[in-house]
Amino acid sequence: MSLHNRIAVLRAEKKLSRAMLASSVGVNPQTIGFLERGDYTPSLELAFKIAEHFGLPVEAVFSPRPFRTLSEQVYELHKREV
Amino acid sequence: MAVNEERSWFWRKIGFWFVPVRAGTLGPEEWAKVRKMSRTGKSRRTRRLFALLWVPALALEIAVSLWVVRLDPWAGLMGAAWLTMLMGLTVRALRIGFAQVSLEDRAVMQYGAEFDALQEKQRGDIFQQAVRDGLFGRVRVDEHEAEQRLRAQGAAYRLLGPALVVFVAGYWAVCLFGPFAATRSALAVTAVVVTWLSALVLATPTMIRMWTQPDEPEETAVVAE
Repeated sequence: MSLHNRIAVLRAEKKLSRAMLASSVGVNPQTIGFLERGDYTPSLELAFKIAEHFGLPVEAVFSPRPFRTLSEQVYELHKREV
Repeated sequence: MAVNEERSWFWRKIGFWFVPVRAGTLGPEEWAKVRKMSRTGKSRRTRRLFALLWVPALALEIAVSLWVVRLDPWAGLMGAAWLTMLMGLTVRALRIGFAQVSLEDRAVMQYGAEFDALQEKQRGDIFQQAVRDGLFGRVRVDEHEAEQRLRAQGAAYRLLGPALVVFVAGYWAVCLFGPFAATRSALAVTAVVVTWLSALVLATPTMIRMWTQPDEPEETAVVAE
């Protein structure tokens, strides 16, 4: 089963290079690249480390189903408020 | 660049790979070459080309070794040993290359800056460290790399297992029914050895698992009741 993730978005948001993220979670930079591209499913340990690094619950970073785009989510929130 | 033009052809093409880089000793031309080389194994196309060339290289090695053995057994054996060692080192270098961190990522990890933004001394340090790490195999085998290696080894085993069985059956057939009446008993000995080695190779993963797997857990008492 492939696992979807938001690492690329979170990295862009924090202006964090893959090398810096890799250093802090203890993997090679190329592993972050493979994760972002969906070529590799991380171990539970690595998934928790990455989520912890961004200060988010693991289900906010990884999901078995594709994430909805941020614009969709923002639009839905906006509709609810209205 | 003036500094670049003053240097000899040997330095510009080959020398700089092997000597410590000092501040200002490499020009943009060499750095471009270094960075291009460091990215060689990163593309699937290049890696597949290497993999495709591997089989003819192996066949060539065997052909050359057999040819030399017929001329001079001692020289042939030594030559085969050297060639095999060389090919083994090549495979080792390729394996290390998978886990090596690129120069650009090293720059960010060590100095928190892009490679182009570094001073010449810092670039030199990174380059030399990358070369040393490559030579001594000092790379981090993280979980992705470890999994890829295991998957590759598993695939190789699945591929080579049946091939080995076919090879042993063929070897037995040649030994038993080939036109070697005078040397049949000697050949039978080699067939037994080949069979034993093959059985050892094929059974080893199962034996390792038999030895290392812990006891199977039973249902917990609370649920069992």
